[in-house]
Amino acid sequence: MIRIQDLRKSFQRRTVVQDLSLEATDGAITGLLGSNGAGKSTTLRMICGVLEPESGSIQVDHRCEAEERQNRLGALLDHNGLYARLTVRENLAYFGRLRGIPPESLPARIDNTLAMLGLESIADRRAAGFSQGEHMKTALARAILHGPQNIVLDEPTNGLDVHSVRSLREVLMRLRNAGKCILFSSHVLEEVRMLCDRVFIISAGRLVARGTPEELCAQTGAASLEEAFVRVTL
Amino acid sequence: MMSHPLVIARKEIVDGLRDVRSLVSALVYALMGPVVVGLVSLSVHPGTKGGTTVLAGMMSVFTLVSAFVGGMNVAMDTVAGERERRSLVPLLLNPVRRVDVVIGKWLAVCFFAAAGLAINLAGFAVLIARAGMAPPLRLAPAAALGLISLPLLAASLQLLISTTCRAVKEAQTYLSLSVFLPMGAGMFVVFAPPSAHGWCGLLPLAGQQLQLEAFMAGSGTPTVQALAVGCLTAALAAVLLLVAAKRLESDEIVYGN
Repeated sequence: MIRIQDLRKSFQRRTVVQDLSLEATDGAITGLLGSNGAGKSTTLRMICGVLEPESGSIQVDHRCEAEERQNRLGALLDHNGLYARLTVRENLAYFGRLRGIPPESLPARIDNTLAMLGLESIADRRAAGFSQGEHMKTALARAILHGPQNIVLDEPTNGLDVHSVRSLREVLMRLRNAGKCILFSSHVLEEVRMLCDRVFIISAGRLVARGTPEELCAQTGAASLEEAFVRVTL
Repeated sequence: MMSHPLVIARKEIVDGLRDVRSLVSALVYALMGPVVVGLVSLSVHPGTKGGTTVLAGMMSVFTLVSAFVGGMNVAMDTVAGERERRSLVPLLLNPVRRVDVVIGKWLAVCFFAAAGLAINLAGFAVLIARAGMAPPLRLAPAAALGLISLPLLAASLQLLISTTCRAVKEAQTYLSLSVFLPMGAGMFVVFAPPSAHGWCGLLPLAGQQLQLEAFMAGSGTPTVQALAVGCLTAALAAVLLLVAAKRLESDEIVYGN
């Protein structure tokens, strides 16, 4: 469970996130929507403990300290570079060691994650020259390797082809059905409509709407989620 | 289970050893000193005392420089390169203290810097043997006391520079300039009056240069002085490392602006 309360962050006197509160529950995919520069990535980075909020509180499974939050989170943010000279397996092993996975169980954990994402065929290939789909799946494997209860994804389908999007969608649904809490940001409203149980829309760093995709349409009198999004963010 | 700095250092060393182009360039830099000094000393005064004087005089600067070039590519790649490739934020998402991230990367840079220094010294050892010189080996431990700390300082300084740069190209510019630091120290020692050599001997870089010169001249440096300059250099390295760790905690590192 991820809960943020009255979050605020500024950069160079520009307020990027202000008085933002939201909650993502277990066993659900929660969407975070907003136009470019609305503060989505900054919010996700603060949740993940790489940026310090100016004020407000962040809880992940009722833990507030950044290190404790990071222990309970797996994240795929917009910065998702791999180590090009290491194989997929080595990339994962490095992060597994940093996560404190015991050496005796690490190989099995890696194999399970590779199988879950269908990455077995490229497991021993170096990451240099990967397609966007292979790159994204490897980065996702790295994010979920340690079996976190909470998963944060920042526009994970960016640049992916239809097949990769579908397989990623299936993985996310499987994780949701396993009871994981997934917080997900995206620009692709159709994808949000298909995947998300609950949606938070932010504009200029503030929360402007919340609810299920259907509720948002009903609240705004819009026929589609896209129309509803445009109405609340104008 | 390995501690975080060791996990990071191991990964950076494996990664660095696979970067063959960078390894070759570091090797060329490390061996440039013995080759250049060998050619100069042989061409100016082959087989005479003049030739060995040239060798003894030029060796120290090249050796100091080698400690700065051995780990330069890794320092560049490990922070500025990570930012450019967008792999630094995924690393910082792990429950690892930023100071541990910096220490891990520093250990890896030290490894390559020390290797550069060792290869350079091995090259000079061959050259010295071929020139028929016999520097007093009993004085070598004292000279080594100061030299050991050089890769530590070079790695800290280069890592700090790398944390201030957003891209490899930018880091390359400033890290290349850092190589002039030991050269500058060498020139300072050459042009400083002999009366200043006492306190110069305690300064990082200048102190190591004077130790090497004394070793080649057969006079050596008092062990206490060698130890003192080694400790001062290591202390400066620690301070620079802490500044680099502090820098890694800034929002700018995550945002890259």
